[in-house]
Amino acid sequence: MALSTEELKKAIIEKAKKSPKPQLYIKDFYECDPDAKPRDIKKVANALVTEGELMFWSSGSTTMYARPDRIQNEEK
Amino acid sequence: MAKQHKTPLLDELEKGPWPSFVTDLKQQAETKPECWDILGQLELSYKDRITHWKHGGIVGVFGYGGGIVGRYSDVPDQFPGVEHFHTLRVAQPSGMYYSTENLRALMDLWEKYGSGVTNIHGSTGDMIFLGTRTENLEPLFWDLTHNLGQDLGGSGSNLRTPSCCLGVSRCEWSCYDTQEVCHSLTMHYQDEIHRPAFPYKFKFKFSGCPNDCVAAIARSDFAVIGTWKDKIRIDQAAVKKYIDNDPAYPSCGGAHKGRDWGKFDIRKEVLNLCPTRCMWMEGDELKIDDAECNRCMHCINVMPRALRPGVEKGASICIGAKAPILDGAQFGTLIIPFVQVTKDNDFQDLIDVIEKVWDWWMEVGKNRERVGETMQRVGLPTFLSVMEIEPMPQHIQEPRSNPYVFWKEEEVPGGWERDIVEFRKRHAA
Repeated sequence: MALSTEELKKAIIEKAKKSPKPQLYIKDFYECDPDAKPRDIKKVANALVTEGELMFWSSGSTTMYARPDRIQNEEK
Repeated sequence: MAKQHKTPLLDELEKGPWPSFVTDLKQQAETKPECWDILGQLELSYKDRITHWKHGGIVGVFGYGGGIVGRYSDVPDQFPGVEHFHTLRVAQPSGMYYSTENLRALMDLWEKYGSGVTNIHGSTGDMIFLGTRTENLEPLFWDLTHNLGQDLGGSGSNLRTPSCCLGVSRCEWSCYDTQEVCHSLTMHYQDEIHRPAFPYKFKFKFSGCPNDCVAAIARSDFAVIGTWKDKIRIDQAAVKKYIDNDPAYPSCGGAHKGRDWGKFDIRKEVLNLCPTRCMWMEGDELKIDDAECNRCMHCINVMPRALRPGVEKGASICIGAKAPILDGAQFGTLIIPFVQVTKDNDFQDLIDVIEKVWDWWMEVGKNRERVGETMQRVGLPTFLSVMEIEPMPQHIQEPRSNPYVFWKEEEVPGGWERDIVEFRKRHAA
């Protein structure tokens, strides 16, 4: 991993804020640190969900990530 | 409050001798009125010829990224009982052994927090609870985990709840302890089951023998199917009993005996049905050319008291099965013909293979691409080289069918460079 965990968290949040698509697949975050292993990116993205910075959206078969203020919320 | 709707189209489904989910839902609606709205919304879908369920959502329980699938009605004003109608997946015990006490407790839990409508079991293997509201999810999860000691299963881009056959608990043909592996790997991969990790879903299934009672070869990305290395064990005295139609030796263990199928004929019912024709009789003796056996299990199924799997047992690993969303359904491809499956090393041999597949697929797999589709896209030789497995005859379906494993330059003496002048001396243009 070229970035530290904290740097990677910042990069993922930035990507989730600025991406034209509000909901992103885990692979969309790989470019945040091309040297990091996909598993490390996954762990950091899931940690951000626990911290409330990201949320999961699931179709039942696929899961995506988004910022809470950008996510498609059926209950709004 | 949901009320009864007129459902003339659905009522047609109650006619005839077969059981009807419409009748079941009407019965359930007597105590759970939201079931009237399931029927009402479905009737509307039949009229409109379109689903009225919205797809997916953000619902879940804290700390988990799977196990709950959001479902909402797009006509909640007409059918308020199904405004929220989320699905829960409850992880099944290995081999699906439940006590009646546990089943009652699960049903009580679901009557308390949900619609009481279930699907046992879903195709992944979990017990499926159909229909609850968002505010019920956390209390239900608390009771499920704290009072019943059970857990949610997998959904989304997670490792799905691993499933297995009854294995050695009840089946003499099981070549390894499927339940032990299934439980151990479920515990080992808790993070992957409960939080998304992959480009798409990933399923393990464990079958104890090639009868493959959990259909691992057809339904799982990673199928571990019991097999044996040595010879089918033959009890020649028992073979003779079958041939003599001894009533204590009914063919197929007595299955289907409610009808007269005539006298058992070993040639017609066993030898001629062997797909590789590797069996024959020499006088009263049954002979098998085990090198040609492809483990179809037919002979063992027909004469269970005479034939048994060998003693050197383990499993084959097939990778890449999937249902037909893209490119049609496909079976798993045999990648590792034989692996020992033992708890002595905590199933490390399996774990090594699993994680090698994951590390590659997470990097190379496209979004919503099953590992079998990735394998198909890059080709089997590339996949084998990623897995660091030498191509072997078992990878080939039949000679000249799929044998295209190309040499690499470093494997050829002298590489690709040739002296064209020297070559043309022998092969004129």
